Amino acid sequence: MSVTRDDIRKIAALAELAVDEAAAEELERQLSRILDYVAQLAEVPPDAEPVEDGRVLRLRHDDIAPDPLLSEPKDFAPAFKQGLFLVPRLGELDRGEDAP
Amino acid sequence: MTPPRFRAAALGAAIRIAECEAKGTHAFVEWSEEALVEQADALTEEAADGPLAGEVVAVKDVIADRFFHTTCGSRILHGWRSAFEATAVRRLREAGAIIAGKTNCDEFAMGSSTEHSAYGPSRNPVDPTRVPGGSSGGSAAAVASGAVRLALGTETGGSVRQPAAFCGVVGIKPTYGRVSRYGLVAFGSSLDQIGTFGKDVAGAARLLAAISGRDDRDATTLDRVPLGGPGPAPKSLKGTVIGVPREYFPEGLHAGVRAGCDRALAALKALGAEVREVSLPHTKYAVPTYYIVAPAEASSNLARYDGVRFGPREDGGLRDVRALYRATRGHGFGAEVRRRILLGTYVLSAGYYDAYYRTAQRVRERIRADFAAVFGSGVHALFTPTTPTPAFQFGDNLADPIAMYLSDIFVCTANLAWVPALSLPIGRDEGLPLGGQLIGAMEAESTIIRIAQALEAAIDGTAEVR
Amino acid sequence: MSRETVIGLEVHVQLLTRSKMFCGCSSAFGDPPNTNVCPVCLGLPGALPVANEQAVRLAVRAAYALGCAVHARSVFARKNYFYPDLPKGYQISQFEEPLATRGRLEITSPDRGLLTVGVTRLHLEEDAGKSFHDRVPGMTAVDLNRSGVPLIEIVSEPDLRSPAEARAYLVALKQVLKYLEVSDCNMEEGSLRVDANLSIRRPGDPLGTRTEVKNMNSFSGVERALTFERDRQVAAVERGEAIVQRTMLFDGAKGEVRPMRSKEESHDYRYFPEPDLPPLVLSEAWLRTEREALPELPAAKRDRFVKSYGVPEYDAGVLSGTRELAEYFESVVAVGVEAKDAANWIMNDVLALHPDDVQRALPPAALAAVIGLVRKGTVNRQAARKVLEALDTRAADAAVSADDALRLATELGLIQVQDTSRIDTWVRETLAAHPGEVGRYRAGEMKLMGFFVGQVMKRSGGTADPKAVNAALRSALVGTAAS
Ligand SMILES: [Mg+2]
Ligand SMILES: [Zn+2]
Repeated sequence: MSVTRDDIRKIAALAELAVDEAAAEELERQLSRILDYVAQLAEVPPDAEPVEDGRVLRLRHDDIAPDPLLSEPKDFAPAFKQGLFLVPRLGELDRGEDAP
Repeated sequence: MTPPRFRAAALGAAIRIAECEAKGTHAFVEWSEEALVEQADALTEEAADGPLAGEVVAVKDVIADRFFHTTCGSRILHGWRSAFEATAVRRLREAGAIIAGKTNCDEFAMGSSTEHSAYGPSRNPVDPTRVPGGSSGGSAAAVASGAVRLALGTETGGSVRQPAAFCGVVGIKPTYGRVSRYGLVAFGSSLDQIGTFGKDVAGAARLLAAISGRDDRDATTLDRVPLGGPGPAPKSLKGTVIGVPREYFPEGLHAGVRAGCDRALAALKALGAEVREVSLPHTKYAVPTYYIVAPAEASSNLARYDGVRFGPREDGGLRDVRALYRATRGHGFGAEVRRRILLGTYVLSAGYYDAYYRTAQRVRERIRADFAAVFGSGVHALFTPTTPTPAFQFGDNLADPIAMYLSDIFVCTANLAWVPALSLPIGRDEGLPLGGQLIGAMEAESTIIRIAQALEAAIDGTAEVR
Repeated sequence: MSRETVIGLEVHVQLLTRSKMFCGCSSAFGDPPNTNVCPVCLGLPGALPVANEQAVRLAVRAAYALGCAVHARSVFARKNYFYPDLPKGYQISQFEEPLATRGRLEITSPDRGLLTVGVTRLHLEEDAGKSFHDRVPGMTAVDLNRSGVPLIEIVSEPDLRSPAEARAYLVALKQVLKYLEVSDCNMEEGSLRVDANLSIRRPGDPLGTRTEVKNMNSFSGVERALTFERDRQVAAVERGEAIVQRTMLFDGAKGEVRPMRSKEESHDYRYFPEPDLPPLVLSEAWLRTEREALPELPAAKRDRFVKSYGVPEYDAGVLSGTRELAEYFESVVAVGVEAKDAANWIMNDVLALHPDDVQRALPPAALAAVIGLVRKGTVNRQAARKVLEALDTRAADAAVSADDALRLATELGLIQVQDTSRIDTWVRETLAAHPGEVGRYRAGEMKLMGFFVGQVMKRSGGTADPKAVNAALRSALVGTAAS
């Protein structure tokens, strides 16, 4: 098995997915099989020269022109009050290390 | 007043869709006669003069529109009405088309059979015991059953061409960037592209022309004006060089598929084309490359389904936002989507990025270079089988994800390389449709469409091939 | 035992654009929550980013001003993490191929004087929304107006050696960015945010283990937080404890820094190139235009003021403090005022009236006219200040011209009186009113001259020419003594 139960636990936490024990066992097996299968890519020798697709970013003028919403946040949000989206309480700054 | 003219088209379509669905095809996840009539009556004068005036078009449920829900075949978007409209759908409306409804698909377009739809699978109209292919199986089935003549599908790794082959219709996947992805719910952003289905090549090409062209809301669209519509089928293919890549005709290829391809190649030669064997040496790496790139992008694209701003929320006890995420996502996504999110998270995570993601990008460049070399050597188009076998039966490939993935072995290369490709019916084997694939150079849609039209006219696409 | 403090700063600055980084929503501050939102910045299914040209331009300007190498090709990347105010579950940023690298900023360190601080990198990214933890009991409330607002992140080398130096770096950085009109750098509105990395070591040793300090809401807060953290680390090391690499939060009210509640799993952002945005490629010509259009920066301006106007170093530093103040100074000089006069008047009088916004002060020509009145002896220095204040008040709601200076001085009765007969009268009256002081003066208490001058000026309503008063007093007092 190239993927361990601990790996499954870690990536499930990163992906914020609930995975129960039975599912974890199956995932361990399936992901291992898939990763063993894709491991054959390692045999492709490093490139001589990289292939450039030549596409470059088109930029937008700094105009205020949003695509208008057909419905508003209050209509589609699961919980919304005083103009704000609501979620269960979270500790302040419990976020990424160098998030903005 | 124009309405009566288009109302008849709408009512006719409603009857055909109802007949199709009454047979248990389940091509649609949502449609209604009222919506059809409402749109027909509301057609503006300008739209009524458009190239698709009164044409009824089915739309895959991963594309946002203003009339129906957009669920992506997933529980996590149950009840979601998009707050904006996809550019492709807007262009359809502006061209005079009427949106028939939303077609079934594998959840978030992840699958090759529609068996991964949260709303149940679609059936192949040619043989209801078999899958219609996927992920755009509902759109292929809608066209194959006669419910509509035209439909939009989407591709990430062959999801238009494979079901087109399985259902015996035409499917076109344009060059990456030919059609705006704005409003197409993302799966693998560097691979995703909206494609078209038609009963015949001209129909699918006409639909593609209507939605193509630069869009300022999608930075990855090509800076090109829309494609022109198809011309008449050429009577001769003299001067056209067709490459036959040997990697697409392995030993042990399904005998019916091989026979169909042989017949099609003979027809191409008879039309005056030069048929030449070529090689795309990195073909065997396409599926493993695809199964790193697509899940990696998907793991990021599907992070937005968190129960915070839209869609259903499961509170997980309402104590903690992490519990909310895990419950909402854990229950909202089906098994295949969960598998791919976790796979994608794994290949991007610290310590594995170089071994998997960076390696896959490197191999992807080799695959792209293979195509560039072949098309640089005077070849105008490649001809290959679309799928290794005809449509399989329900459940055949469900237990083993890799077996399912390998049904896309001939189609996912074009997505990785961004080149245009199409599938057209080249006959039947034991009653099951066979698809032949034409792959073009970057932006050479019109070349493969022209060749496909000639081939379509030269062979009986529904005849048994052996 | 001497310990050296090593500090590096990561500064996020909001760019002064009309619209957001990747969508056409307004990036205005202070609108009702969730009103400047669209499919893109809400992260709705199927929405796609389109990059703002002006944001790229402002970032390039900042990079050039900081002496960075600006890369003709840079790549946007997704930084993946879950947070309720991050709609897509990832932030579009730059990672392996940032817009600019290897820059520098000259600062005036309170400890070490003029010094150059390295800038490691400068990249473009989008902001997240804003979370409120106190609006609805038990809930976190999210406003996405700020989601997608354009930012640059500027990362310094660990070149700073004290909390005061960190503050000096921020002051210099803010000055440059405001000069460029890249950002308004307003910490209260969140348009400038600072995170710091701090470690201690013995001089000459390799870098020690660093902690990251966050949640500082002002420049003085940065200095206080870093002082606290430095002292904490020194005390810990002196107790023989090891420094643990972790994130610390500053509590401004308590003035202390404490460790952030640690999370169960470590961060793993899974960066990868943003597939929705092709590489950002900037042409040589475009880059050259931007580089050449850079305004003169504060340090260069200060040096030029010293060199070409001969004003003292300190004055040059004050006058080049903002672009507006420097322009004001040069306009006053341009209408013919001697540079040293202009500097004195601006620093003593104009800045006293308008410490923050010289643009609201009286026009340069009017100031020049006031200064001219003094030079010509039309009004004295003291009266001139009154004229200036009156002109300045008037300038707040009406246009004022150079001619208004003389008219106002006349209206206010401030024209200097040099008529000796009138001055002699005031002198006579003053001496008559203070016979005691006159006696003491004559007995040798010479410093009373100042008192007599003041009394005469008072009698004249401030209009007498002080020089003439002095002369008249002297001769009157001497004259009487002789009799
Ligand atoms: Mg940042
Ligand atoms: Zn927006």
